[in-house]
Amino acid sequence: MESGGYEGNMAVREVCANGVRMKTAEVEAKLDEGNIQEAESSLREGLSLNFEEARALLGKLEYQRGNVEGALRVFEGIDLQAAIQRLQPSLPGKLASRKSRSPTESLHAVSQHAASLVLEAIYLKAKSLQKLGRSSEAAHECNSVLDAVESIFYQGIPDVQVESKLQETVSQAVELLPELWKEAGRYHEAISACRRALLSQWNLGNDCCARIQKGFAMLLLYGGVEAGPPSLAVQIDGSYVPKNNLEEAILLLMILMKKFILGKTQWDPSVMEHLTFALSLCCQTPVLAKQLEELMPGVYNRVDRWNSLALCYSGAGQDKAALNLLRKSLHKHERPDDLIALLLAAKICSEDYRLSAEGVVYARRAIDNAKGTDEDIKGVGLRMLGCCLGKQAKVSSSDIERSQLQSEALKSLDEAISLECKNTDLIFDLGLHYAERRNLNAALQYAKKFIDETGGSQVKGWRLLALILSAQQRFSEVEVVTDAALDETAKWEQGPLLRLKAKLKISQSLPMDAVETYRYLLALVQARRKSFGPLITFPQVCHDNASEFDVWHGLANLYSTLSHWKDAEICLGKARELKQYSAEALHIEGVMCEGRGRIQEAFSAYINALLLEPSYVPCKVFIGALLSKIGPKALPVARSLLSDALRIDPTNRMAWYYLGMVHRDDGRMADAADCFQAASMLEESDPIESFNSIL
Amino acid sequence: MSEDNPSETTTILTSEPSSPACTSESTPMVSSPADSLSKTQSAIQALSSILPSTPDLSLSTASSLLHDPDVASQISSLLRKPDSGAGDNDLCRWLYDTFQSGDSELQLVVLRFFPIIAGLYLSRIALRKHLAGFEAILLALYAHETTSRGGQPVAVNIPDLSHPSLYHETNTPIKNNATELNIAILSPTLEPYGTVRSTKRARIVGVGLELYFSKIFWMPVGSKIDFCEFCVVWAGQDGDACKESGCESSEQLWGGNGGSERVGKEGRIPLPWELLQPVLRILGHCLMGTRKHKELLDAALEACRNLYTRSVNDINPKAILATGSLLRLRKMAMETADDFDPTEIQKPDVLSI
Repeated sequence: MESGGYEGNMAVREVCANGVRMKTAEVEAKLDEGNIQEAESSLREGLSLNFEEARALLGKLEYQRGNVEGALRVFEGIDLQAAIQRLQPSLPGKLASRKSRSPTESLHAVSQHAASLVLEAIYLKAKSLQKLGRSSEAAHECNSVLDAVESIFYQGIPDVQVESKLQETVSQAVELLPELWKEAGRYHEAISACRRALLSQWNLGNDCCARIQKGFAMLLLYGGVEAGPPSLAVQIDGSYVPKNNLEEAILLLMILMKKFILGKTQWDPSVMEHLTFALSLCCQTPVLAKQLEELMPGVYNRVDRWNSLALCYSGAGQDKAALNLLRKSLHKHERPDDLIALLLAAKICSEDYRLSAEGVVYARRAIDNAKGTDEDIKGVGLRMLGCCLGKQAKVSSSDIERSQLQSEALKSLDEAISLECKNTDLIFDLGLHYAERRNLNAALQYAKKFIDETGGSQVKGWRLLALILSAQQRFSEVEVVTDAALDETAKWEQGPLLRLKAKLKISQSLPMDAVETYRYLLALVQARRKSFGPLITFPQVCHDNASEFDVWHGLANLYSTLSHWKDAEICLGKARELKQYSAEALHIEGVMCEGRGRIQEAFSAYINALLLEPSYVPCKVFIGALLSKIGPKALPVARSLLSDALRIDPTNRMAWYYLGMVHRDDGRMADAADCFQAASMLEESDPIESFNSIL
Repeated sequence: MSEDNPSETTTILTSEPSSPACTSESTPMVSSPADSLSKTQSAIQALSSILPSTPDLSLSTASSLLHDPDVASQISSLLRKPDSGAGDNDLCRWLYDTFQSGDSELQLVVLRFFPIIAGLYLSRIALRKHLAGFEAILLALYAHETTSRGGQPVAVNIPDLSHPSLYHETNTPIKNNATELNIAILSPTLEPYGTVRSTKRARIVGVGLELYFSKIFWMPVGSKIDFCEFCVVWAGQDGDACKESGCESSEQLWGGNGGSERVGKEGRIPLPWELLQPVLRILGHCLMGTRKHKELLDAALEACRNLYTRSVNDINPKAILATGSLLRLRKMAMETADDFDPTEIQKPDVLSI
């Protein structure tokens, strides 16, 4: 069959040189007989060629027929190195031309044509070796093509005068060399070949250059060999020099993207995917988003692009931007049932009270669509639904609605856990939900289970357990858990645990121990700030850490409850230096004024706090409490303030207590009794720190 | 709670007078050939007393040990035994000592088994097994990496094409504001640790994975396949593929103690970014960096699919992007089977000189 193919080709194939044409068939017949010399001489006679030209032509004929072994035999019969030697300009000439610096002078001393012939022969030898699986030898041959080009045309050739045949061979050799080294498994050589290809002036075409750049980027990203920085010789002052594999790969891929945007190369979707992989590994998804935004419309489907952008922004914590994009892509005229978009939107909404109702819609839609193949997704959808409902319950304005939402939230979380009983995030969510509803026994079970499943690897698990135990007033166990957690934590991440411990000491009426703990925490926080600076940790680690402000604020609070006004004032001053406008600081200031009998000042401090943060519950409660003491006229205002506080935070026992006082003073004894009862029940299940603080 | 683990952790380490960080610092990294040979010989002797059937190891070098399939399968099956990670386990002791010998060839042999060690270790945490032996090895790797990096973080300067670079020029004049580069921290500062604190567990294993990735070029295919299989276990998603192959395989993989309850997805572990990121880099290599090996490609693809499902399950945007792009790249590679070879010469009908 194959020979039949030859026949078909041979009918039209010809060789042509010096204005004479000759059918290939007769030469090939001689080659088939194994008679290279006769084939050669017939070419030399027929086309008036010299020995090397004839041999090179023969080799090419054999190569094109697919007879690579034959081609190799022919090429091995030529002393290619000697041919290169002859082509090189002689040394004195070299020096002279260097001195004269005239580019045209020595340029044509060498015939491009002759060079082209020899170089192509070596190139085809390399290709033949490659096809025979001898990659290393092939690489050496291919390398000698490039060396030869550099030594023959050491001054370069002006663009306009390059013979296209020569250029083609050079480009192909440049592109082939890294591939050969890769095939030979010698990645370091492949890397230097890529750099040589891209950093020397080979006058490569755009497509060829783009292919080499992409291949190099892939080698850097996935090859598993560290390339090491490029040599100093190629580094230009002031320009960006990549220092490791990822930097170099990202640079190359970005250049490729730019080339496409400028219309210099064809669109290659894989470039964007490689870049996505590389940039998400470095957590630099906003940079990726910028790349996506720079693409012209039409390259990607717009919904796909919106969804990818949303992932990029959400990956960098820019949830607002992400949600806006998702709203577009989930619009009923676009792709309203895309599961990943729905889930991401629900997740973003579940983190914000104001968005929770919107999140419920997304989560429900995700659950409805998670039929059949995507049954896995259903569990996630249910979890998101539960979280959104739980958040929604917190801002609900009526008690009935609130409890309805809460039980729905628990129902969907329970359903989710029946689908994925090993999902630790879900176990944690359930624990927190039960804790917030003060179902402490159930909460405790989930908190323990979470620690078991994660092997205690997450600080938030330890904190939840400690807070639940503290709500059960089991302070000695809280201490055991907190100490165990401290043991399992490296010192830089101990902040929240130490804060918890300080508050535990306050609850245990050991204020001096608390001061001591705060002092230690302060030293830790300050040392961390000095030794790390703003970055150098994973973003996920730094967000839940105690800040210096927290410490001063906690200390001010502690001293003011002890009536150590002077100390409290100093601590408050320190806290203010760090955060000038803060409701928490104004709250403490109010407490201090009140404690020293300066009621008007206390009022203004509390009111200022509310102006800064209108939903700051403790100040609402304190204003309500102060007003209730003023006299019967102020009681309605106090009542409305306290009710408002309870709407935001129904588990605030102080609000219940003062509301009870208001009812009593107004003469509504039954209501007052209810409120006092609520206050006392809550007091028995009050954690030392709000459960919300874990999130 | 897992209070028994940390206390046990210390048993093997207290027998080492100095902290792991110091030990690896004191061992010279470049040793003389003769020294290296004797180390290899003693390591091989020690190993042959541990393995059940002694292969002919008398003339082995570290490199042949690394690539010996028989040794690999014997060590793997020993490691997969239910109680293999205990502090007094001989094999763990051998792996620890061999790594601490400081001979880089021998260290590769230990790294070859890192996927199994890390895989079993993380999946067994929730079972409250004795794991001090594994922890000692993990800490040794961590300490080695801490020393060789000098504790410094690994950072990546994200290029900005408006500045000229090695590979491109710009028309705009060079402004001297190189500080505006985006700096991404790939791996943060390394603190020395003497024990595995549970909140640092993922980080310690993650750094081990980073070390493994830096040597992955020298790893035999079998080790990479082990790694991919554990990715599937860690992801804990019962995707379609898992149903096909039956869950027994995953049970065998992590050496479950048979009697454990079969509900849920065994071996599923939390995958924080400090663990997931090196996992994805290794997976990228297995999927895109190696050409031929079909078995490895299949295993890597399976791992990637499972991790993608898991990322969606966790709604982790970065992981969804990274695993999604790997899957699409693999798909593109399989679809574009056209054999256009730009390095092939043209075949005109008329050859001219």
